[in-house]
Amino acid sequence: MLLRLPASLHYPITVTSLLKQPGDEVERDQALFWYVYQTTVTEGDGLGNKVDVKRKFPTRFESTVDGTIVQWKISKGDVIDEPVEVVEIDEPCAHEVQYGGLCAECGKDMTEATYNTDITDSMRAPIQMTHDNTALTVSEKEATRVEEDAKRRLLAGRKLSLVVDLDQTIIHATVDPTVGEWMEDKDNPNHEALSDVRAFQLVDDGPGMRGCWYYVKLRPGLESFLQNISEMFELHIYTMGTRAYAQHIASIIDPDRKFFGDRILSRDESGSLTAKNLHRLFPVDTKMVVIIDDRGDVWRWSPNLIKVSPYDFFVGIGDINSSFLPKKQELGPPSEGKPSTPTVHHVNGSTGKANATEVSTLEQLVTMGGGDNPRLLQEQSDAQDETIMHQVEDRPLAQKQKELDAEDESAESSESSMDESQDSARHRHHLLVDNDQELVQLAGRLEKVHSQFFDEYDRKRARGLGGRVAALRGEKALSKERDVDLKLVPDVKDIMPQLKRRILGGLVIVFSGVLPLGTDTQNADISLWAKSFGVVIAQKINMKTTHLVAGRNRTAKVREATRYPRVKIVTTQWLLDCLTQWKRLDEEPYLLPVHPDDRGQPISPSSKEMAESSWLSSSDEDTGDSWTDNEDTSELNEDFLKSSGFTEISQIGYDQDQQAAIHEELKEFLGSDDESESDSEASWAERDEAPPTVSPKKRKREDGADDESDTSNSDTQTEPGDVPGSRLSQRIKRSYERSTGLKKVATATGTAPGTGANTATDVETPDISFPETDEEAAASRKPEASYPEDPVEDDDELEREMLAAFEEGEYDSHAEEEIGAENG
Amino acid sequence: MFFLKEETKVITLHPSYFGPNVREYLINRLNEEEEGRCTGDHFVICVMDMVDIGEGRVLPSNGQAEYTIKYRAIIWKPFRGETVDAIVTSVKPTGIFTLAGPLSVFIARKNIPSDIKWEPNTVPPQYTNHADQVFEKGTSLRLKILGVKPDVAAINAIGTIKEDYLGAL
Repeated sequence: MLLRLPASLHYPITVTSLLKQPGDEVERDQALFWYVYQTTVTEGDGLGNKVDVKRKFPTRFESTVDGTIVQWKISKGDVIDEPVEVVEIDEPCAHEVQYGGLCAECGKDMTEATYNTDITDSMRAPIQMTHDNTALTVSEKEATRVEEDAKRRLLAGRKLSLVVDLDQTIIHATVDPTVGEWMEDKDNPNHEALSDVRAFQLVDDGPGMRGCWYYVKLRPGLESFLQNISEMFELHIYTMGTRAYAQHIASIIDPDRKFFGDRILSRDESGSLTAKNLHRLFPVDTKMVVIIDDRGDVWRWSPNLIKVSPYDFFVGIGDINSSFLPKKQELGPPSEGKPSTPTVHHVNGSTGKANATEVSTLEQLVTMGGGDNPRLLQEQSDAQDETIMHQVEDRPLAQKQKELDAEDESAESSESSMDESQDSARHRHHLLVDNDQELVQLAGRLEKVHSQFFDEYDRKRARGLGGRVAALRGEKALSKERDVDLKLVPDVKDIMPQLKRRILGGLVIVFSGVLPLGTDTQNADISLWAKSFGVVIAQKINMKTTHLVAGRNRTAKVREATRYPRVKIVTTQWLLDCLTQWKRLDEEPYLLPVHPDDRGQPISPSSKEMAESSWLSSSDEDTGDSWTDNEDTSELNEDFLKSSGFTEISQIGYDQDQQAAIHEELKEFLGSDDESESDSEASWAERDEAPPTVSPKKRKREDGADDESDTSNSDTQTEPGDVPGSRLSQRIKRSYERSTGLKKVATATGTAPGTGANTATDVETPDISFPETDEEAAASRKPEASYPEDPVEDDDELEREMLAAFEEGEYDSHAEEEIGAENG
Repeated sequence: MFFLKEETKVITLHPSYFGPNVREYLINRLNEEEEGRCTGDHFVICVMDMVDIGEGRVLPSNGQAEYTIKYRAIIWKPFRGETVDAIVTSVKPTGIFTLAGPLSVFIARKNIPSDIKWEPNTVPPQYTNHADQVFEKGTSLRLKILGVKPDVAAINAIGTIKEDYLGAL
């Protein structure tokens, strides 16, 4: 190693003699060379006066390492002004692997420190890289060597590394003793779903260390998933559970240890209780690593991460090992709203899970920093104990089931449940639903990444080898090939984002009612996740916006968005499903049913004429001129329509005359727009391909709403014809509208009651805590205060809407609640 | 190396244990607390017998009794250069982790004969020379301790099998 002068010497120094020759052995603390330095000292002159004098002092420089001198980098008489390398010493052992403070190769104590030590030897091997042992550390060089070996091996086997999280990713565990009882009880409605739940006991865990039973549900299809995936990936477990927990889980999911082997990293070895770090396992580079986890924040949204939707089998239990992690930003379980899990969201709705507000970024940061604070750590581990104790004692599952049963009874007695099919009524009896499909999709995604990676690798390799062979033509080719291969390895960190960006790239999304006020919309979990797919998150709705993701209905932004025909108003579920399924799903089933009163003036070339009817309704403008008359005979032509990309469109609140009138106008304004037809056709075709994610029953309900929103979407197609001059013309039109504002108030109120009766049932969700009409009334008095996001020029129009809503008053609130509960 | 060592230990006893079984109770306490303990310097393997239990002395402040017990115990102090038998607990590309009784010993790759190679593709992974020497989890082997480092309540050691007569048993 090259010995360097420390910065603490009194520079400049002059070398006076070298004490060792190349080839000499030196020990630590043995003198290497003499040098002199000059400094000012205060001396007495013998008369009691103190004088500052410059003096030269000779000193020896001592070696900090053992070994044989190879070469001097300085010579006698040199004046050295700054720290430089002075001598190269060949060490018998570089202490590259250390175990518990000992060099694992020569057995020397690495923690010794003397006056001469500037860096202790233990710093030479700072990297932990074994899964199950923290005492073993290695140097960077050694880590690189080990990793390169591993990479060569993986490349030869055409595999990548996959880091797998346990809780809520591939399994779901709980300590609720209710599960045990249900498993015993054959009559329990949940018995069937629990048939393959596995249990084990951890003795030194749980409240009072008396040991509690853990119940583990494997995600459906786990075994075949692991089987398939292990052919493409080398699997590692990285969990925030304890070592004992991880071992137990591993022996359940992989009894022969053929998938995971000993590659298990638990929170005991992780080094941080709050975050997971890929460098703990792959210290040098992470080019060939893919992560699957249900939490993105613990990985700091690493580009290697594939976030999966959390597996939530034991409803309401969550992740039992997450007490140390920053709180999860709740957006509601993604299973919500899917047809096959009616019971799940029903329960969530009734227990007010939606009220669990998200955690601010600051709080999250504070929690993240908890690693350094022993008191906080203690608190967190107490919290962990408490979580477990609560589950053992409170039995959240039993309570949920009780609630469910009670609800069933009331639902059966009340009339409103009549429209529920018999089948789903029977389903309601059990709380736990075993229908998760995520792993199947996940396997597909992993396969995609894998094939993409090796395609890229093969391509590079073919190119690289070809060039090299031409250059070398010979014997050396084989020996060099190994290194060449490693240099050609593509980076998963490049490949995955590329794959993901292709999916939602180009979308501009605005959130409304998704994140709590005051959250940094750019850095919230869902935003970061969406951004990794190429989505742009905007604050305000404008012409560039493509989607409004609304967490609840009737927000100011929803109103505003209706004015932009291009903006699709979708539920949060759409975004979540897109993100988890790696597909740009058709928005149709996810469109948010917009309350008719919320419909604003569309900002489009045709807005002036549309204003006459105050909002665009069930007339299907997107059909363009050739289809304008079809709705009259829509039932007859249904098949024909479908084949040409259209489906039946229901008519709401309009009689034939009105529609005809509107179409006359529309024809005028849309007639020339060719783009509209091809665009709409494309989107409808997409819809046909997309798997139906909404049950037929629900589907039917939503259809009315969908069509409404659809009509507003259809204006999208008119809008691209937005020539440079159109903005001005819009403004002119708007000013025109403003002058005739009063007249339109009348129109709005006139149409509202009729349409309201038809559509009110679709609109409301129960998580809106304030009574709607009160708020409207307040808002109509002070519109600009309540809706600060609204652009000023909308005031007139907004006021008009408010008034309409106010006068309409209480639409059928009972029915509304029914539907709200249904939608979760 | 094993030693028979005489040591003393102070045990304080709550008044509720005062009675005819005091002696028995003290012996139990001693066995429980001492056997298997690692002082950082050595392991206490087994408490042989009590040399002297001594008079219990009641502490004035709280009424507990304090016994100073002299006992003999077999201890094991690992030394550098000692040859021990151990069982493999896990094998890693960097080396082999073994357990020699209570002592965990790590054998680095450099201290494994060069003909014994890391073989990661087998299940479980192993070090092998494709002949008689195969090291995987659970294998017994004989090693020489290269270095010992005492810690607060543990001892770390590193070992080698790169010498004659060392290796798989």
